[in-house]
Amino acid sequence: MPDPAPDPLTTALAGLAVDAPPHLLDRVAVRWARVPAPAPLGEVAVAFTDRGVCYLRTTGPDFAASFHRRFARPLLPADHAPDGVADALHGGDPGAVRLDLTGLRPFQADVLTAARAIAPGEIRPYAWIARRIGRPRAVRAVGTALGTNPVPLLIPCHRVTRSDGGIGEYVFGAAAKAALLHAEGAPIGGTP
Amino acid sequence: MDVSTFRGGSPAPPADPGTPPPHPDDPGPPLPHPDDPDLWFAELYRRHRSMVFSAALRLTGSHADADDLASETFLRAFRAAAAYGAPRRADLRPRPWLAAILLNAWRNRHRSATRTPPPLLLDSPLDRPDPGEDVEAAAERRETGGELARLLALLPEKQRAAVVLRHVAGLSTAEISTALAAPEGTVKSYISRGLRRLRALTDLEEAPHAGPRT
Repeated sequence: MPDPAPDPLTTALAGLAVDAPPHLLDRVAVRWARVPAPAPLGEVAVAFTDRGVCYLRTTGPDFAASFHRRFARPLLPADHAPDGVADALHGGDPGAVRLDLTGLRPFQADVLTAARAIAPGEIRPYAWIARRIGRPRAVRAVGTALGTNPVPLLIPCHRVTRSDGGIGEYVFGAAAKAALLHAEGAPIGGTP
Repeated sequence: MDVSTFRGGSPAPPADPGTPPPHPDDPGPPLPHPDDPDLWFAELYRRHRSMVFSAALRLTGSHADADDLASETFLRAFRAAAAYGAPRRADLRPRPWLAAILLNAWRNRHRSATRTPPPLLLDSPLDRPDPGEDVEAAAERRETGGELARLLALLPEKQRAAVVLRHVAGLSTAEISTALAAPEGTVKSYISRGLRRLRALTDLEEAPHAGPRT
């Protein structure tokens, strides 16, 4: 018995199927890659969207979990980080790296923008940031905003220290902060 | 190329054109990596992106809206699946599950978009060209897809959803029944009424001797 003739309407409907455009995945998922980092960190994981780097933390089993808690998006491995990231972590121009900071609260965005202006070898107190963003009494909140910096090193929050000469806290720990500042020749007391 | 690995800054690889679409009644092998939400999602996306995007495009009528709807669908899917845990991910039937998420998102957008006037049906192209579309595909779309795609917009919501999922996205009526949370007989009725209405609007008469395909 011959097959029945195909129905032209359902055949035409089937012809309306298309493949998803290549950019669709970029709207959903974030990609990540390992990048060598200055001592004592050794290596960091960098997550990035098609707009830029959105997250940087030390590599390890906690990286994906902390990323998911913060962003709630799929995290897929990439072959390499965006151009300029490795250079920026080793003395190159961090301004050359595009950052995707969408989703930050305005206060934190202001704090991080101010911190990004501090050059290697320099340090500024938390109160300096607070004054610079027009919130001179928000010194403690500045510390909190820097402590949850999504892209440390690329935004050098380690260059913000306490007014009394103390090193202050850091997302990678105070010892790492002291080591980074020492390596940059910043005016901090003693060796880490 | 492994879909879970992409070059930094480069787009996802295109679908393998040599891979035939799955039979509507074949759910395919279970998704691997239920214990890793990211790898699980990568395979979910690789297998079902065309089904989701095709349905999104023919439900919304434009590439820009389909981008929004398909990306929202996959993001909602990831967030739900990440919260499920590995055993539930392992048991999931992805196609009706994704279709249900897609339809919910579509209906929500549909209802909140009342500020946007309904598209004009025949005198303005709803189907904006995809800049990545090749010449042959564009010609094909102009000849049949554009007109038929516009006519789909004339169907009532449930008939349109059922016809698109069955005959564009290739789901079985059982899968659509799950996605729509409606009995299979009701789904078949939506499809057959939708097709009848489309036939009345087009000159694509049913072929002789071909039984009604629902």
